[in-house]
Amino acid sequence: MSGISNILQIASQALLTEQLGVEVTGHNIANVDTPGFSRQRVNLITATPVVSPAGPLGRGVKVLGIERAFDPFITARLNEKTSLLADYQTRSDALEQVAAFFNETQAGGVNELLSQFFASWHDLADNPAGPGERQALLQQGLTLCDAFNSRANQLVQERQFLLQQVKPVIEEINEHTAAIAQLTREIVETESDGHAANDLRDKRELEISRLSELIGVQTYTAGDGTVSVALSNGRPLVQGVMSFDLTYQVNPADQVEVIWQGPGGTTEILDSSTLTGGKLTALVQTRDLVIPTYQQELDQLAQDLIIAVNNQHSQGVGLSLFSQTKGTYQVTDPTTPLGTSLPLGSEILAGSFQIFVDRDGAPLASGTIAIDPSLSLNDVVTSINTHPVLGGLLTASVEYNSLKIFSNLSSDTFGFAGDDSHALTALGTNTFFAGDKAYTLDVNAWVLADPDLIAAGQIDATGAHAVGDNRNALALADLEGAPVGPGGLTFGEAYQRLVMTLGLEAQDAANQETFYQGLVEQLANMRDAVSGVSLDEELTNLVKFQRAYQAAARLVSVADELYQTLLAIKR
Amino acid sequence: MRVTMSTIFHNIQNNLQNLAEDLQSINASISCGKKYQRISDNPVDVGAILGLTTEEGQTVQYDRNLETAKGWLSVTLSALQDITDIVRASTGLANQMATGTYNAAQRQAAAQQIQGYLEEIMQVGNTKFEGQHILAGYSTDSPPFIEGAWDIRPPVMHLQSGSTGTAVSGGTYTGTESRTYLVEVVAGGGVGVGTYRVSWDGGQSWTTPAVIPAGAAALRDGVEVTMGGTWVAGDRFSISVYQPIVYQGDTHNLEITVGAQNRLKVNEIGSEAVGGDLGTHDIFQILAQLKSSLEANDPNGAGASLERLRSYESHSTTILAGLGASLDRVTMKESIFGTLKDELARQISDRGDTDLVTAANLLKAKETAYQAALLSSSKVMGMSLMDYL
Repeated sequence: MSGISNILQIASQALLTEQLGVEVTGHNIANVDTPGFSRQRVNLITATPVVSPAGPLGRGVKVLGIERAFDPFITARLNEKTSLLADYQTRSDALEQVAAFFNETQAGGVNELLSQFFASWHDLADNPAGPGERQALLQQGLTLCDAFNSRANQLVQERQFLLQQVKPVIEEINEHTAAIAQLTREIVETESDGHAANDLRDKRELEISRLSELIGVQTYTAGDGTVSVALSNGRPLVQGVMSFDLTYQVNPADQVEVIWQGPGGTTEILDSSTLTGGKLTALVQTRDLVIPTYQQELDQLAQDLIIAVNNQHSQGVGLSLFSQTKGTYQVTDPTTPLGTSLPLGSEILAGSFQIFVDRDGAPLASGTIAIDPSLSLNDVVTSINTHPVLGGLLTASVEYNSLKIFSNLSSDTFGFAGDDSHALTALGTNTFFAGDKAYTLDVNAWVLADPDLIAAGQIDATGAHAVGDNRNALALADLEGAPVGPGGLTFGEAYQRLVMTLGLEAQDAANQETFYQGLVEQLANMRDAVSGVSLDEELTNLVKFQRAYQAAARLVSVADELYQTLLAIKR
Repeated sequence: MRVTMSTIFHNIQNNLQNLAEDLQSINASISCGKKYQRISDNPVDVGAILGLTTEEGQTVQYDRNLETAKGWLSVTLSALQDITDIVRASTGLANQMATGTYNAAQRQAAAQQIQGYLEEIMQVGNTKFEGQHILAGYSTDSPPFIEGAWDIRPPVMHLQSGSTGTAVSGGTYTGTESRTYLVEVVAGGGVGVGTYRVSWDGGQSWTTPAVIPAGAAALRDGVEVTMGGTWVAGDRFSISVYQPIVYQGDTHNLEITVGAQNRLKVNEIGSEAVGGDLGTHDIFQILAQLKSSLEANDPNGAGASLERLRSYESHSTTILAGLGASLDRVTMKESIFGTLKDELARQISDRGDTDLVTAANLLKAKETAYQAALLSSSKVMGMSLMDYL
């Protein structure tokens, strides 16, 4: 049906179409800064032609629909890399935080304090009777203990801090999965008329990309507008219009367990090693896998220090002897073998130690106490109390599950020597340090109360001991260069290795972060190249649609003139 | 590739941020003088710096130990040198007195001089360094040399040929100064027959002769002698009474660490270097005997002491040479540690300190880059088709 009305028909259709074009352009311009927005364009085709004597005659334009520019493959890759970026970002932040506790580039680091601690032993060896040197050594000891304590404490706090973040992250994941399911429902409803729900789909994509930052997921889009979002182990978080929540719990081994709550009340504990990507993975793995290794290394170093220093210290004697002493370690049960009931019980070897008794400052008697790891604390007490020489001079007892020894007469004092069983170390008698790990490392309260008990010298076989004796202090100072632990490293080297490993791990996480940052930026640029809005382009389109609109309007006036011309013939 | 608004603005923001971060880190390294602010900046270098710092700390400590060692060695050396000087003077005196040209009064005076030397050697031997007695082994809290209880020595006999006289000293001394009692037999014979006289000024004045009693004869001040056998006129014997100087330190050597696995003995044991142990080189014993000989006006006895004094002198020369060698070792070590400290400081600085020239250049370069980025960004941001429509 050709004719002037056909021209008007074409013109009106064109007007509407170009107006739609302007509207879509306006929508694009308005959303130039909207996150997740994909630019839209009007899909135009020619209207079905009519048959005319001259052949098929065009009937103008027809709007097929409004389409968004979107590349699902780039977006999927972007989400995957964003996931890894978020993982490394969180990891790097946490490690940088931990590394800050071990920041040895500033003054007052453990390395420096270790050095100063041993230097204090040298100073004491130079002047074994000096009260100033003794006090300085105690201060250095305390500062070193503080340094170990605070670092151990900070590691615990960092783990706590990471745990605190797990809950909000999991809640956020659940919000996003719920939103994805909800949006899918709306998309399915909206698209029932056959038109794509562009803005809803953009919103859903945005939710998926936000979800990817929190946890690594794989998405599968189905033809019906639904999407499946699954964890890397295949457990779905969103399936169709259903979403499944995650929860967590801290198990007795102090490990975070993420729990997937599947359909019909089924649950599954997700192994932290099966999680990949995203903030949650980084939080859980840094807390439960990375930091504990440094805690262990620090504890091991502290324990090695305690054992080495105490093994040597317990061989010696101070300026004054004990009138009574109590061990710093408690047995779990005074009737069970020392080897298993003391924190450092595994150090005990079959051997013996000697006790020397002075009366009014002059050597009086001595005795040897045999030790075996299978002995209980009660056995040791009996062994001292029934000793033919010592039994009458000293009394041993179990007090608060520790070994207590005191002299029967106020004129008598006693000291220790020749301990090849390391029992004194394990019992915490005549020791310098107390505690058994980095957090509990402390200077023995007995020494702290009486600096004269710092054992710089040793008792001779005759029972003689002199104030100028520096043998034990020399041996203790030598520990700085002595190999400890299985690696044969010195304390300084072992600590340096810890710092270096930590530094390298933090550096690696930061490098990975930078790498993925670059990758994500590049993919984001690629995504934007497809979906992003260019204002200049939209302005061009605006002019284009405007001109076309003007032309269509002109067509109306031409058709009108044609009508008028036609009507004028009749007059 | 399509360039969109978000691409343009995102890139501008990122690039400016990266440049700002670089500027900040260069600025930090300049303002605090250290290349690295965090261990993750360069873990390998930071680890190496830690190792070097530990080594530097040890070197500084060894250097401090050397100071102490030097103090001990120098004080010991000077004390023993003083003692050797005194011994040399004593030797000179003994040399004079061993000749027969001096009389009893002169020998008495010389004995007084020897007593003075004895006291001086004891004083020097009790020298303290930083509150510690240096010659006492580990017993640094008490003086190593003290005067023991009054000791009545066994008689030194000078018998004529044919005499079978025996004398045993005894009693408890009640006097207050050291003395030598000289006993001379005036008339020969055994108990109840022979007579003797006593002098306590080296034979210048004598008591009136008395008959040799059967039992202990009281000489003076609680000193007793029991004489037996048959005496010949002119037999003499002398009994010295003095407080021997005894060593009450121990025999431990004080060692000080002067390097890794490297210790240096910094003291001398008083009983070995000076005496007080009644050994061959006990200078107190030697001088006490010399003094007794002089008090007894006995040139032969003085001659015998001379030998022992010379033997002590060579003994002490060996000890002094040993101390000198140890001091040399300390000086040498000090110079080695001095060089080592400089070298370590240089290495630490090389690795850890900011090279200001490089950093300043880098800062300038980044600053220029930042300004260029700002300029080009503002140009790009300002361009829009809108301005031409």
